[in-house]
Amino acid sequence: MTPEFLLGFIILLIGTVSAAFPKPKTWLNRLINIEIAAWGLMLIMLSYNESLAILTFVAVTGISTFVLVRVIERRSDI
Amino acid sequence: MEYVIGLLLIFLAVLVAFYALVRETDDLHRLLLTDLAEILALVLIALVATDLAEALILPGLVVGISEIMALSEIYLVKEKLTKQPKRVVKLEIMDSAPAIMSLILVMYGIVLSGFTGGALAGLGVIFYFMCKGHDERFEIIETASGYAWVMWIAAFFIFMLIPQYWFFGVMIAGGAILLKVMGKMSLIGTMRGDSDV
Repeated sequence: MTPEFLLGFIILLIGTVSAAFPKPKTWLNRLINIEIAAWGLMLIMLSYNESLAILTFVAVTGISTFVLVRVIERRSDI
Repeated sequence: MEYVIGLLLIFLAVLVAFYALVRETDDLHRLLLTDLAEILALVLIALVATDLAEALILPGLVVGISEIMALSEIYLVKEKLTKQPKRVVKLEIMDSAPAIMSLILVMYGIVLSGFTGGALAGLGVIFYFMCKGHDERFEIIETASGYAWVMWIAAFFIFMLIPQYWFFGVMIAGGAILLKVMGKMSLIGTMRGDSDV
C-alpha cells in the first residue's frame, strides 16, 4: 500500500463528505469541494501508474468546470 | 488486500454521495452531485489497476463530459436561462494569461497526440476563445473534421493492407483523432459570447 494510495483515499473521502454536505450551501462551494475529491482520484490513479488516464482526466475536468461555471453564472444572475 | 480495502472505502463514499443526491431538491445541486458520482465511479474503475483500467477510464471520461454538457443545456432551457447574463465574471488573469497558457497546452497536446492530446489542446483553445473572444469561422472546423475522417480511414487501410507499416498507421490515426477532438472541444469555448448558444 503506497503513500499515494492512502493519501488519495483520505482526500477522496474528505472531498466526498464535504461535497455531499457543504457548509454554506452554494453552487460554487459545492463545485470547489468536488475538485478536492477529484484530487483524491488523481492520487489513486498516480499510485497505479495510470498516466494516460490522469492526463485525460485533468483535461476533461478543466472542460467540465467551464461548462458547470457557465451554468452557475447564468443561474446566479437572476 | 489493497483492492478489498479500497473497494470497501469507495462503497462508503458512494453511499454518502447517493444519500446526498437523494436528499437534494435543487436541480443544479443535483447536477453538481452527478459530477461527484462520476468521480467515484472512476475510482471504482481505477482500482482495477491494469491497462484494462486505463482503457475503461477513457470512454468513461468521454461519456461523463458529454453527459454533463447535455444535462446542463437541458437545465438551461428548462429554467429559461438562455439569455446572456448581464454580469459575466471578468478577471485580470483572463487578459494576461490566455496567449502563453494556450500555447503551452496546445503544444503539449500535439506532442501527446491521440485522444488525450486532443483533449488537452482543446482545453487550450477553449481557454483562448473564452477569454479573448472569437469570430465564428465554424466551416474551418468542419473542414478539419472531414480531413480527420479521411486520415482515420487511410490509417485503417494501412493496418489492413500493409500491416508491416503499422507505426505509420498509428501516427496517422493519432494525428487524426487529435485534430477531431480538438476541433470539437474548441466549440465549447464559443458558447459564452452569444445570446443564442
